[in-house]
Amino acid sequence: MNCERIAELLPDYLQGGVTIDQASQVEQHCQLCNNCAQDVAVWKKLALVPPAQPSPGSRARFEAMLHAYQTISEERARSAEIARKPKIVWSLFDWLRSPLAASAWSVALLAIGVLIGARFGIGTNVASPSQSEELTAMRSELTNMRQLVALSMLQQQSASERLQGVSWSGREAHLDPQVQSALLHTLRCDSSVDVRLAALDALGRHASQPQVRQGVVDALQEQQSPLVQVALIDQLAEWRDPEAAQRLRNFGQTPNLNPAVRQRAEWAISKLQ
Amino acid sequence: MNSVPDEDVMLQVRNGEVDMLGVLFDRYQTPLYNFYAKMTQDRVISEDLVQEVFLRILRYRQTYRPGTTFRTWMYQIARNTRIDQVRRTRPETPLVSEPVAPTSLSDSAQHKQEAATLQRALMHLPEDKRELLVLSRFQELKYDEIARLLGCEVGAVKVRIHRALRQLRQVFLQLESGVPATDSHGALDHSLPPGRRLQ
Repeated sequence: MNCERIAELLPDYLQGGVTIDQASQVEQHCQLCNNCAQDVAVWKKLALVPPAQPSPGSRARFEAMLHAYQTISEERARSAEIARKPKIVWSLFDWLRSPLAASAWSVALLAIGVLIGARFGIGTNVASPSQSEELTAMRSELTNMRQLVALSMLQQQSASERLQGVSWSGREAHLDPQVQSALLHTLRCDSSVDVRLAALDALGRHASQPQVRQGVVDALQEQQSPLVQVALIDQLAEWRDPEAAQRLRNFGQTPNLNPAVRQRAEWAISKLQ
Repeated sequence: MNSVPDEDVMLQVRNGEVDMLGVLFDRYQTPLYNFYAKMTQDRVISEDLVQEVFLRILRYRQTYRPGTTFRTWMYQIARNTRIDQVRRTRPETPLVSEPVAPTSLSDSAQHKQEAATLQRALMHLPEDKRELLVLSRFQELKYDEIARLLGCEVGAVKVRIHRALRQLRQVFLQLESGVPATDSHGALDHSLPPGRRLQ
């Protein structure tokens, strides 16, 4: 049996989907053909690549997302209800309940159903221009949803949920202005040092935005925790923003400053000059 | 709860019992994480993508059609999420990332080395070939399931898997013999900062 014939059997052989007879044909061929034997060997060796485990915090992050999503949905439903109420015209409402309107609704719902089916159908890989517009709209909606989830998480009572919110918000390539302002607020005012540090870490990736750099410099004046103060100083030194040097000098003269923090500020000033 | 089929749980989620999504998360977070870890070699990105998949399931739960295999539907979402992530990734804004850490180590040093070489060889394949091998070998998806996922014939899947395996073998043997692998990278590989790959 030649390689071409074996090529037809090999994929099924690899997943154990051949008869005993076919398996022995493949094995006999592999004794004579080095290339096919090596294909099989490499497939088997893939078992050596060990499985990986998600980090233990993954479940908590999921729960925070779920909680935030539910909060957003409830808020949306409430505001939709408030917006709808004053507009109800009772005669129109009565008409909507008539049999004629019921059929109109059925047709409309069917059309919506067909549209949704076409839009999200599985296995449709070729996108027409209108589909690609829909996909773009869907992606932008998802970005908004991610941002809403992040914003909602940043306002949660529990520090661990706020921490999840920071990690949801900081990884977008482009920081949404609302998320940016929420992160800067978190950096200045959050009661937990861990959350403030995480916010700084997230903001640190967006040094190209002047408001972020300005916000980090401003946060330094308000910080009480030496741990966060040192992290802020390190961030400013890393950005090599010469304008930060003067602010650091002023900060270094703050009375009752922790000596380690003062030393770090002096080190950063020397780096920036 | 373990015995309830995925599809029934998903229907409950679709009907508004969104807390039930936790059951599906517990069942699939590790397989999905492994899918992304093998595709990206990046722990942070893989975890983000898993979360994103479940956010999308939640957001688009109404589009889940009864009778559809949940796993296939989920992997469809997972593939789209990955495609979007590649589009969003900008080489000039690298994230601080950590490579994927295996949870168990092979017995012998040789096995460890071979596993590392195989990982590198996988990353040398174009995205579509790597994906086929990951789905069929690591995620243990049957060929007909992959065919439904990709929207093609089962026969075409088998041919493409065989080609992908052949290319993997060539790259693996080149890397093993110390010859730098020929440039068979997918466009995606160029978009990933080198620090994110498993060395």
